[in-house]
Amino acid sequence: MNAMLEKVKPRTNEARYGAIRIDDVVKIYDPEGAAVMAVDHCTLDIKAGEICMIVGPSGCGKTSLLNAIAGFHDITSGSIHMDGEMLCGPGKPKAEPGADRIVVFQNGALFPWKTNLENVAFGPMMAGKLSKKEIHEKARAMMADAGLSGTEHNYPGEVSSGLRRRVEIVRALMNDPKVLLFDEPYRALDSLTRSVMHESLLEIYYKNKVTIFFITHDLEEAIFLGHKLVIMTSRPCRPKKILEVDIPHPRDYSVLTSPRFRELLEETSEVVHEEARKSFAAGEKEG
Amino acid sequence: MEQVEQLLKRTLPFQVVSPETLGNIAGISQRETFSEGDVIYSAGQSANDVYVLASGRLHHAITPQVNAKIHEKSLNAGDVFGWAAIFEGERIRLADVSCTEPVEVLRIDGTKLLDLLRRDRNFGDAAMRSFSQLISQQYYLPPSVANRVPSTLAAPATTAEEPGEPAAQMASTWTLTMYRAGEWIRSPDPYLMMIGFMLLLGSWYLTVEVFKLPRFEDLPGLTTVVTEWFATDPMYGLSIHTSEYYQHVWVSIRRVAIAFLLATALGVPLGLFLGWSRTFREYVFPVFELLRPIPILAWVPLAIIMFTGSETPVIFLTFLASFFATALNTMLGVESIDESYTRAAYCLGANRWQVFREVIIPGAMPYVFTGLQISVGVAWFSLVAGEMVSGQYGLGYVINTSYTMVRYPTIIIGMVTLGIVGYATSAMVRVAGNYMMQWRLREMALGGR
Ligand SMILES: Nc1ncnc2c1ncn2[C@@H]1O[C@H](COP(=O)(O)OP(=O)(O)OP(=O)(O)O)[C@@H](O)[C@H]1O
Ligand SMILES: [Mg+2]
Repeated sequence: MNAMLEKVKPRTNEARYGAIRIDDVVKIYDPEGAAVMAVDHCTLDIKAGEICMIVGPSGCGKTSLLNAIAGFHDITSGSIHMDGEMLCGPGKPKAEPGADRIVVFQNGALFPWKTNLENVAFGPMMAGKLSKKEIHEKARAMMADAGLSGTEHNYPGEVSSGLRRRVEIVRALMNDPKVLLFDEPYRALDSLTRSVMHESLLEIYYKNKVTIFFITHDLEEAIFLGHKLVIMTSRPCRPKKILEVDIPHPRDYSVLTSPRFRELLEETSEVVHEEARKSFAAGEKEG
Repeated sequence: MEQVEQLLKRTLPFQVVSPETLGNIAGISQRETFSEGDVIYSAGQSANDVYVLASGRLHHAITPQVNAKIHEKSLNAGDVFGWAAIFEGERIRLADVSCTEPVEVLRIDGTKLLDLLRRDRNFGDAAMRSFSQLISQQYYLPPSVANRVPSTLAAPATTAEEPGEPAAQMASTWTLTMYRAGEWIRSPDPYLMMIGFMLLLGSWYLTVEVFKLPRFEDLPGLTTVVTEWFATDPMYGLSIHTSEYYQHVWVSIRRVAIAFLLATALGVPLGLFLGWSRTFREYVFPVFELLRPIPILAWVPLAIIMFTGSETPVIFLTFLASFFATALNTMLGVESIDESYTRAAYCLGANRWQVFREVIIPGAMPYVFTGLQISVGVAWFSLVAGEMVSGQYGLGYVINTSYTMVRYPTIIIGMVTLGIVGYATSAMVRVAGNYMMQWRLREMALGGR
């Protein structure tokens, strides 16, 4: 762990791109029929290069918000801007998906029919600006940098789930994205692998300044990784509490036992628990 | 000590090791007893020992954090558990194990066990592979867990600073095939298969030729058919020594091949577009669904009216059934593709056409090949139907004319030949599929399926 941190140079270049402004966004599914409101007048500002952690009860609408940023579906009203440019808003309900905002999916979405190397090379190959040789060289270098050498010619199904997540992040980084959108990527992993993934994510983050929008259920994970912690209300979701995590980066696992971490955890867990309870009660009523 | 060895010999991982290693393992095994309700270990504890259940029953519950297909199971005598103790890297219990009855177990130190297996040059690796197999097959855990059992064959570790990650193994297709063939020979399958054949042939022989059961006595007997089939001068004119036999086989194969290739060339693209484009599907699918259930035999008159000669109507009929099977399965294949793959591709900057080429086509491939296997099967089916009605040559024709001309042994020769040729063609499709989907083959080999 410490060896890892020594390799990491302190932040030299601050990220200048990837600021996201979510303004009064509403998302209602199926507006004609049984309307389900997933996001309710949500307003949120994420600075360029910030790790923004979204915590909220199950089914509250976190993924809906992420999908709106990624451009997988439209929003009902409001607007989302990135670096001052409108992604979606009045007159343009759905953002265009693109390589500047890349999603890392809950269950992983490496293409099982492509080798890890081909997966990593996918984005630039689609863009078609460089030759295949150049792309593969860059992909190899990036993979080596993330400790993935030796797995280039394996298929994703042949390596452990922890490695797969890392390949997926490298695949995203190959495109110089401004924002990485994580939808509970570590939910299915055991706690041990998860802690390894946290360190490796931070390591990658320190090397590549990107904005990170990260959805999770796990409050400890949220405080450990994030600059900013956004606790959502139960469905429809809206920020209930926004908190700056004032533990300096770079962080390592000793943070988990620090008094400040414990304080923050105590401060927030009551809020999270309350929303989870509400969501549970609402679920009981509906069912 | 003997008893311990006997018990070990009955377990999956240890039945392969050499007698010497077995003795050594027995030497480090310790007997222990627990009473009902005792907890042997719980998830999260550090894992030091592997256990073999000698008697009694246990409840084994894998923690929800681990992605198992089935989380709970009960263990009986001969089951091996506690395999986390031989994982590469961090050894943490992944399950809670408690006794539902008084039990007796053998406790084997994981580190010492690994050491013994590593020293067994011939069989140690097979034992470790059996452990992976055990984990994936009996405990329903994904390869990511099963592969944490180290292998002496493993490639050098990829990441030094990460103990939890096993070195991924590269397995070439050839070694894999050989490995599977070896496993097959060692498994009871081939012998069971032989018993099945013997039962079929035996009851044929007995009912027709020995007991001469009523209604069976007119059937051609086993010996008659075999003699006729291999005769240099067959009584009814068809045996492996006559060129006519091969001509019939060849004509049938040619018809199936043409029909199958045509059905694939048209059916796969149609299925892909049906699955891919909603508008296209709205136009085409209702027609497709209306035509599909019409039995092939119902097409016979139309086929004869529409096409001249004896060749094209038969090929048309053969084509038709294959075409529907291929197109439908391909469409299902496209629908089966997880939405996150297409979303990921769009995120990575692919356009619609690139998504079609890079995600839809390869993603549908497993279903396409299932479809093609069904398609060869139904091709033979409708071929025979077609050949019986029209046609001058072919195995269906042979069967039909042999019936009208009372050449009963030749009917059986035609049938058996159809069976063999049909099996061979679908095997060829399977091999082609495996060749084109290496990723699936490797995934399945590691999953132990
Ligand atoms: N395509 C859809 N059509 C209709 N309703 C939907 C659709 N997608 C999601 N919903 C509903 O919107 C609500 C929010 O869903 P969403 O997936 O955004 O929640 P989430 O916070 O990501 O939940 P989880 O923690 O379970 O991932 C849920 O009640 C869900 O049932
Ligand atoms: Mg979600």
